[in-house]
Amino acid sequence: MQVINAETGGRRPRVPWFVTFLAFRLAWALITLFLFLTAVFFIVQVWVPYTWATQFLGPDRGAAYSAALEAAGLNRPLFERYADFMGGLATGDLGTSFSGGSVSDLILHALPVTLTIFIAGTVIGWVVGEMLGRVGTWSAHRLSGSALSVLGVLSAAIFPPFLVFVLVRWLRDPLLDARAAMGLPRDSLELWRGAVIGEPGALTPDDVRWLIALAMLAALAVGLLVRTYGRRHQLAIVEAVALPGTLLGAGVGIWLSGLGPHALDLLYRADIAATTGRGTPALALVGIILISFGQVMLVMRAGMEAERAEDYVLTGRAKGLTERAVRDRHVARNVLAPVLAGSFLSFPTVLAGMMIVEYELEMQGLSSVLFDAIEFQDIPVIMGVIVVLGLMGVGFRLLTDVTIASLDPRQRRGRA
Amino acid sequence: MTTLGESALAPVPFPRRGRRLTFVNAKVLVGIAILVFFGLLTFAQPLLEATVWAGRDNVYHPQFGFDTGIAHPSAPSATHWLGTSSLGRDVFSMFSHAARPTFLVALAAGGSIALVALLLGSIAAYRKGWADGFISHLSDAMVLLPAMVVVFVLGIGRSNEEFGALQVGLSFGVLYGLGPATATVRAAALTVMVRPFMEAARVAGGGGTWIVTRHVLPHLYPHAAVQAMIGATGAVIADAFLSFRSAVGEDFGFGQMVYDGITWSTLMAGIAPTPWWIMLAGAGGITLLAAAFYLIGVGLREALDPRLGGDPR
Repeated sequence: MQVINAETGGRRPRVPWFVTFLAFRLAWALITLFLFLTAVFFIVQVWVPYTWATQFLGPDRGAAYSAALEAAGLNRPLFERYADFMGGLATGDLGTSFSGGSVSDLILHALPVTLTIFIAGTVIGWVVGEMLGRVGTWSAHRLSGSALSVLGVLSAAIFPPFLVFVLVRWLRDPLLDARAAMGLPRDSLELWRGAVIGEPGALTPDDVRWLIALAMLAALAVGLLVRTYGRRHQLAIVEAVALPGTLLGAGVGIWLSGLGPHALDLLYRADIAATTGRGTPALALVGIILISFGQVMLVMRAGMEAERAEDYVLTGRAKGLTERAVRDRHVARNVLAPVLAGSFLSFPTVLAGMMIVEYELEMQGLSSVLFDAIEFQDIPVIMGVIVVLGLMGVGFRLLTDVTIASLDPRQRRGRA
Repeated sequence: MTTLGESALAPVPFPRRGRRLTFVNAKVLVGIAILVFFGLLTFAQPLLEATVWAGRDNVYHPQFGFDTGIAHPSAPSATHWLGTSSLGRDVFSMFSHAARPTFLVALAAGGSIALVALLLGSIAAYRKGWADGFISHLSDAMVLLPAMVVVFVLGIGRSNEEFGALQVGLSFGVLYGLGPATATVRAAALTVMVRPFMEAARVAGGGGTWIVTRHVLPHLYPHAAVQAMIGATGAVIADAFLSFRSAVGEDFGFGQMVYDGITWSTLMAGIAPTPWWIMLAGAGGITLLAAAFYLIGVGLREALDPRLGGDPR
């Protein structure tokens, strides 16, 4: 389906569509975030039966408990605490943990681990699912079609801790061998010695994680832009090479800057891996890809199957388009928008699955912050993590909205 | 019977629009078959207790049973069909027992999802105006809140009596119902509101309640059922994870079986063989039940609108 600017009827609008579109969507995001934060506050404060102070509910009950309430500021009226919470958030402050530290610091420290593997895992899982759904459905025989369906359902219904166990069992040794083959030191400590002994200016794992995360995001953005350019100017090669090219370029750039071993080490982390095989981002990545590709693939499959019988497919074939062109340029583009919208609705469930995978692999990321906080009944930290998950959701939503709008001009008005 | 002319077009099932809407397809059937299997299994437990296991409660009880004659965990055998766990429990007894609370979770979650989504979705579509604005923004906001994570916050570290199957199902269902389910059902309701028969119903002088219950809701039931089933999948997995994380010895759900196997094989790595039978029974139970609900949901959705529908913005 060629993109026809139906809305403006051929007149060139003065402002590019995505400026007004983004402004609308950002306003939407702000209102939604406000409601979300309010809901989070009241759900956690009212519904969760424990607070930090309830652990002092000993046999004597009275004194220690009320002193703990007082110390944690929990005896103030609910609405006063709500105002505090929202006011703090407006300045980017997530409050103070019951153990005394700043929640923002705790989360900022854990975020790079989580963001890198979640973003990379979701993107790869999405691309794999889309491709399997698109290519696998169009030419598939009945048998391989059902095999794909079974895989997709398994991906959505698997119990994440069991998946992690199987992954560790089967992939730990090959990964450690690969690490040794690439010439990395057997012990991760050798690479990070400077940071461990506290040398000023030494590279810490966090620095490298942030760098990789930013480089990957930048590469993704540039790649998408170049891809769009290639598509608009009918440069098939540019379009095909754009994304892999920029991502590969970012990888080469990281390697050339001398950070290669460090980055690889973070992927195959050996200090913990040597004993239990856990804490290995490469495994987390595989796990996240496995639990996130299925839903996308199933919806893509169903959509492709349904569009197969549409008139324009016949027209495309009749006018001599290749089967590939019909599939990729016409059918897939029609199917993609609802797939994106649907994948947003299933995002929270997939996100929870990713958290379990990350936690079971003992990665020091957001999920270990969350589960530790649940164990210590540290409500401010729990709320902080949920707020960050919500922010990730908003980011994901904006991304899918922009993609849908670029696929379908009817969606470019932004929703009032 | 296909004529020659039709078979030439065989790869293109032609025309789609006149087809009657049917809710039975392979996915739905497989899902129902799995549910029936587990349904029968829950009846098998009391039956076996009355016959084969009669008087041997100290061996076959899912929580307190312990076979003193053998070393645990033991591989599947004639006396223990799926082997025993490291605590000496009979795995088949645990397996058939664990299906029951899992059904309760799914039922509570599915029911509350359908209820919340139908209520809010139809109100939003019928009332329009500020009610719709509020409900649509609320559901947009609740989509951002992963119901599973909130269930973990509520349930981890609490016993089954405090936060059992019913509570897991209801809390997951309400949160999921307010979010993705309401968003989807509201979108479907909006498309119903502009259909010609709505105008006819108004012209016929129908009141609000009558129009909603007789003309709007019936069109929303399938959409609510899809959401209930897909939501139940998440609730089953959330419940299994709570069981996985619960205190050893107290719980004997599917998740605890997986935990038992993983812990044993980690402790005894290189000393004893991995007790795959416990883990496969636990993980298999969770995955099959979750897959059953997911299959029914996805199958219904494909029958309803092959292009998913999503939310037509």
